[in-house]
Amino acid sequence: MSDLMSVITSTFSMSVPLILAALGGVLSVKSGVMALGLESMMTMGAFCGVLGSFYSGNAVIGILAGMAGGGLFGLGHAVLSVRYKVNQVISGIGLNLLAVAATTLLMQIIWDNKGSSPQVASIDGNVFTSPITYIMLAVMFFEYFLLFKTRFGLRLRMVGENPKAASTVGLAVHKIKYIGVTASGVLAGLGGAYLSLDHLNMYVRDMSAGRGYIAVAIMILAKYNPFQVLLCALIFGFSDALQISFQGRGVPPQIMAMLPYAVTLLVLAFGARHITPPAGVGCHDDD
Amino acid sequence: MSEKKAKLTAKIIIEKYMSVVALILALILGGIIIFVCGYNPFEAYASIFEGAFIGKTAICQTLIQATPLIFAGLAYVVAKRVNLINLGIEGQLYMGALGASLVALMPVSLPTPVLIVSALISAMLFGGLYAGLVGAMKVKFGSNEVIATMMLNTIAQNFISYMVNYPLKEEGKTLAQTRLFDETAWLPKLVNGTQLTIGILAAAAVCIGVKLIFDRTRLGYESRCVGLSIPASETAGIKIGKVMIIAMLISGAISGLLGGTHVLGSDHRLIADFSSGYGFDGIAVAALAGDSPIAVILSGIIFGALRAGCMVLNRTTGIPTEFIDVIQACIILLVAAPLLVKDILRIGKRRGGRKA
Repeated sequence: MSDLMSVITSTFSMSVPLILAALGGVLSVKSGVMALGLESMMTMGAFCGVLGSFYSGNAVIGILAGMAGGGLFGLGHAVLSVRYKVNQVISGIGLNLLAVAATTLLMQIIWDNKGSSPQVASIDGNVFTSPITYIMLAVMFFEYFLLFKTRFGLRLRMVGENPKAASTVGLAVHKIKYIGVTASGVLAGLGGAYLSLDHLNMYVRDMSAGRGYIAVAIMILAKYNPFQVLLCALIFGFSDALQISFQGRGVPPQIMAMLPYAVTLLVLAFGARHITPPAGVGCHDDD
Repeated sequence: MSEKKAKLTAKIIIEKYMSVVALILALILGGIIIFVCGYNPFEAYASIFEGAFIGKTAICQTLIQATPLIFAGLAYVVAKRVNLINLGIEGQLYMGALGASLVALMPVSLPTPVLIVSALISAMLFGGLYAGLVGAMKVKFGSNEVIATMMLNTIAQNFISYMVNYPLKEEGKTLAQTRLFDETAWLPKLVNGTQLTIGILAAAAVCIGVKLIFDRTRLGYESRCVGLSIPASETAGIKIGKVMIIAMLISGAISGLLGGTHVLGSDHRLIADFSSGYGFDGIAVAALAGDSPIAVILSGIIFGALRAGCMVLNRTTGIPTEFIDVIQACIILLVAAPLLVKDILRIGKRRGGRKA
């Protein structure tokens, strides 16, 4: 029974960062920018979160710093892919590599340790009472409302579907895209800060460990809908939790560690066959 | 008039060599980072240059570092030709390494050339099929190849870790690795007294081979068409799915060679987590090479030199080697953003103008 409970708790706590990042990704894709930079934004969120907490001694300031760090990389992704028309995949991957390299370099310089940071002030580690869990739920409802019930949401979706037409009717296409992608960075940053300040109380090298990519897969599978993101993320959170609870029970840990990735792959192959992103992803308003 | 002409020529030269300009900018950025870390950037770059090019050992070290980078860059270029982004090089090279190791660990004694050739063919098969899976998923199910390859990378890495922890583990040892291969399975050395093997020649030869396929064969022509325009290729009767899958197979086979030459040439055994992210280095190499297979050789050597030099730098001054990864990421971003480079140059020019 306690096993079951621990799997359930673990499922939710594994899902929270994925949901936050995937919700961010939805905003980014709906505004027409591919969300492959999520990994870098989560990494920055986790790192800046610890950095903020390390210097201020306050976990809340740490989390805000994490959101700012993620937002900064979100803005960078927006500037590169909107203003400078960089291939969005390359921009995302380049930022991901930059984030891992830069954080490792900074760890070396600040703490003289490549592997992990010292322990810092963190917040309550229980997923059911953690404020971030409730912020996540609030964000989910708000995002749905914003995207589908407000004028701004309609405009954001129009920019994502057809930037040229949006530009013709006088929408500030670039501004809207900047808002969408930066917001995605802030949310992914919050997800990252959850990893370093809620799950743990320190930053570990390459902390995001591919969660940003799983978030992208979740977002695709969820058909870019905030509510379905929750559902899909729980599937992955569950396979991750199962993997952890099976460790040390005779099954080789390496085999179990493949589980979440194999599930993602299978779902991608058979579950996400006819899901297309908004038509304007990767397009520009002036070419 | 002549001044105008000169300006125009300068502009054309900058346009043509945009990636070189981007490389230089990234190196300047690297210099700033070194400066911020509290070291003298000029001394650092002098030391990198010395560690990369001065003397036989240095040059050999550069070429050793360049070998996997050339393979990785080429693998990326081949997939890019049909507009696929192969982020799965990392996973494919692990599978390739497994393929080569299985042959090298066989309890039969074969002459060196036969053994090495069959091990490398096995590496190509393992890597190629692993990549072909992604191509098939893309063609059959329309799966996003970027996500699929990322998942397969982690799966491959864990699978290799499992193999060297359980079935292939050296008996009676605690380390997660296979036994040392027999010396008949080691890649022959190119220069005595160094670790430089014929792997570098294989890398260069494969680049030339790919160039010939691109330029001289029907497949090369068709892949070019598919990369430029899918609707046009469809109209022309090209089997797009087939071309994409073949491109992924070749790309994966090249990644497999990377893994194969690594285990046969430098580790001489299969070790868990041996790759230091070669798959992603390939993107930087390919970006700098402008997706041309011959330029990949040069680009790989440039990055190899940076790595070799940086290792020396790390030993002498203690500057963290991670700074090379930062430069590499900057190169990817800057090479992919010619508009940004132009903006930076314009700012530089304006400042220079004011000073004068």
